[in-house]
Amino acid sequence: MNDFERTLKILCDAGVRFVVIGGVAASAHGSAHLTYDLDICYDRARDNIERLAKALGPYHPRLRGVPDDLPFCFDATTIARGMNFTLTTDVGDIDMFGEVVGIGGYKDVKALSITEVLFGDDCAVLSLEGLIRSKRAAARPKDLLILPEIEALRAIETQVKRQSGPIEVRNEDRVKDKQSEHEPGNNL
Amino acid sequence: MDKTQRDELIRLIASPAAGSKIAAAKDFGIDLTLLVRRLELTPTERLQELAAAQAFVQKLRAAKKTPAHE
Repeated sequence: MNDFERTLKILCDAGVRFVVIGGVAASAHGSAHLTYDLDICYDRARDNIERLAKALGPYHPRLRGVPDDLPFCFDATTIARGMNFTLTTDVGDIDMFGEVVGIGGYKDVKALSITEVLFGDDCAVLSLEGLIRSKRAAARPKDLLILPEIEALRAIETQVKRQSGPIEVRNEDRVKDKQSEHEPGNNL
Repeated sequence: MDKTQRDELIRLIASPAAGSKIAAAKDFGIDLTLLVRRLELTPTERLQELAAAQAFVQKLRAAKKTPAHE
């Protein structure tokens, strides 16, 4: 099972610069769609790649869907030489993207993200607008399947906001999130 | 989400404007009523629900592999 809480804390604690994208981002916005892996877009600056390798390394990342005996060394050199990685780790499946179809690299993705409190940490999460843009561009059947729901969520957000201001989740829960025992990291 | 927003959301979902994205999602078969409760949760709670749903599916899959009792 994917331990989203633990994975996000690992990345935030290590100061990795990343944006949550894909199904988990959609879920954070309210989508009822079920997803099994955590997709992130990471900053490909050398210091960030090193942080990423150091953070996830202890959780034995290996390539997903390849023979177990295929040699794979998850380190900064490997990440720098590649771009997108589909990994399985001790804390769940993680897809790391250096670029997102329809948007671009980390800076472009970050510009289309919003900050959400996830398990006590401030995390950059791709906005509904960004999700729509990426899903439209990818246009695979699985992307097109989730697109109507995301577009509806954006329309709901826009219309409800227009009528009565931003949709606020319960503030006391946000505060509770903030006050978790974990020392907040910073992926922003 | 306050009561006014919740009422507005329920109204939007029950009778979406023709040609709107909400109507398109409904026509596509998306159960929009699920979104009302999802939007009442914090993002963390939404991810906790997602993890719980994942775990449930995994249990179902594991049970399917176990031979049924005679």
